[in-house]
Amino acid sequence: MKQLCKAAGGLYLALLYLFVAGPLLFVIATSFNPATSFPAPFEGLTLSWYTAILARPEFLSGAGVSALVAALASALAVMVAFLAAYALSRPGGAGGRGAMATLLASPLLVPQVVLSLAMLQLASAWGVGTGFWGLVAAHAVYVMPFALRLVLTGLARFDFAVEEACRSLGGGWWATWREVTLPLLRPSLVAGFTFCFILSFVNLPLSLFLTSPSTATLPIVMFAYIESRIDPMIAAVASVIVLVAGLATILLDRYLHVRLVD
Amino acid sequence: MPELVLSHITRRFSGHTAVDDLSLTVRDGEFVCLLGPSGCGKTTTLRIIAGFERADAGRLTLDGTDITHAPPEKRDIGLVFQSYALFPHKTVAENIGFGLKMRRRPRAEIARAVEEALALVRLDGLGGRYPRALSGGQQQRVALARALAIRPRLLLMDEPLSNLDAQLREEMRVEIRRIQQQLGITAILVTHDQSEALAMADRVAVMAHGRLQQMAEPAAIYEAPATAFVGGFIGQVNTLEGQVEQAGAEGAVLSLPGGTRLAGQGEGLSAGSAARALVKQERLTLSRTEPAGLPNRFPCRVTERTYLGGSIAYRCEAANLSLTALLPNHPLFERFSPGDEGWIGFSAADCAIFPC
Repeated sequence: MKQLCKAAGGLYLALLYLFVAGPLLFVIATSFNPATSFPAPFEGLTLSWYTAILARPEFLSGAGVSALVAALASALAVMVAFLAAYALSRPGGAGGRGAMATLLASPLLVPQVVLSLAMLQLASAWGVGTGFWGLVAAHAVYVMPFALRLVLTGLARFDFAVEEACRSLGGGWWATWREVTLPLLRPSLVAGFTFCFILSFVNLPLSLFLTSPSTATLPIVMFAYIESRIDPMIAAVASVIVLVAGLATILLDRYLHVRLVD
Repeated sequence: MPELVLSHITRRFSGHTAVDDLSLTVRDGEFVCLLGPSGCGKTTTLRIIAGFERADAGRLTLDGTDITHAPPEKRDIGLVFQSYALFPHKTVAENIGFGLKMRRRPRAEIARAVEEALALVRLDGLGGRYPRALSGGQQQRVALARALAIRPRLLLMDEPLSNLDAQLREEMRVEIRRIQQQLGITAILVTHDQSEALAMADRVAVMAHGRLQQMAEPAAIYEAPATAFVGGFIGQVNTLEGQVEQAGAEGAVLSLPGGTRLAGQGEGLSAGSAARALVKQERLTLSRTEPAGLPNRFPCRVTERTYLGGSIAYRCEAANLSLTALLPNHPLFERFSPGDEGWIGFSAADCAIFPC
């Protein structure tokens, strides 16, 4: 009976993994299929779809824009998240912390397309173009709650007495942050940054109303591409993204002992 | 020259007063223990001295300079935390040298001071380790060394021994006292453990409800408590409530409900008012025969015996009162069993009466 339960549990887990990873594996497999349509039966193995990416400059520039937007938005988000989480976690801080944390997480509740549209309307109401920085701002607003959650978790395990120890030893508040608080929160901050970066990098709906040809992000370029045709090159692009995100996650886990995925 | 002076320090939190008009002086080179139950304001007092809590009223001077509003990093006060609060990402040596690094001392001087501090707390050779690789007792020593390395004007310790096991705690009491004496440093230790306070301090300051109850040498705190709170808080005590029948310089008489009368001593008593007698358990005698010399003596029956190792506690029921006597576990002292009949007694000097 006990063994039967164990077997059933194992089967359940296997199905779960298959359900989660299956589509991904299918996409990766497709990227090596020489057939020109998508989906199609397997005809062999080729790397030609990967070399085809190199021939399309808009994908490379899109990746560049996405990386820059993701880096800037994540840096901004982590900075804001750290300051907010720090204020929310400090002993002897103001009341209403629960309400404040919920308010800060509220961008998660707004559909991303709406956030994108709202940013566009706000910019036009102020009579300024959204441009590159509008894109960065929208991404920062959207990813900040994820960083906030991670930093709050990190701070929950932080002994604020070490800050007092630092101050009693002669460190001012800046020295205390530099020497004690930030180094001890580094895993949360790095994890927050990486998580935000990935979320921003692959995000499509936020960018829908905010990009111009010069600021088209990679997901926008991909979206435009599959509007006209579907071939396995798009699967190759997706596979590269998955590979990079996966590598980042593994490196974090290995060298910083930060878990993005449990 | 007085070193640290607190005058009329008050700290209110929403609704309650944590520290209430506290004035005390810690002399140069003195070791003072702030003792009291949890919530008595002792930790808040320590945090006010360290600069992490502001005083709503009152003044704080160290070495003649007013530090009431000085930020913690400008006070030159060494602090040992209950959780030790070592920097987990820094080595033992970096922890100890941190205060000097903040003071921008030359590297060679820091290295020398770290070596000295390690030797002082007997951790020579462990400078390269990280705190997590040390035992609780060793972490405690690092915390002490780190606080002392800056050559502070004052050393503050917040329940530093409460996370150690019993044997290590006894050892560290002696150790901290030795280091304090060796350096001649002025020190304040906060504790709720009375034996710790009595064993370590030059003077003990007992606090309750944010107020200073008594500040005196350990023997005076134990044997001549100034208030009913101190008398009841320190040691194991029998408490008896009644009415003052007679009060004067030569002694007082307390009448208990049921008519039993106790001879004792007390000040500020007036006949007819309610009062409380406190008798330390080890000052009671328990014998088979009537103890002729003692003014307070009652025939009793032993109802309960608790074996404590070094001593034995007997719970005894006399006519109208129930008392506990703590007798040494020694062949010279008679043993009793529950059900035994005997006499319980104590002198008038050991019966302290306080108005209540």
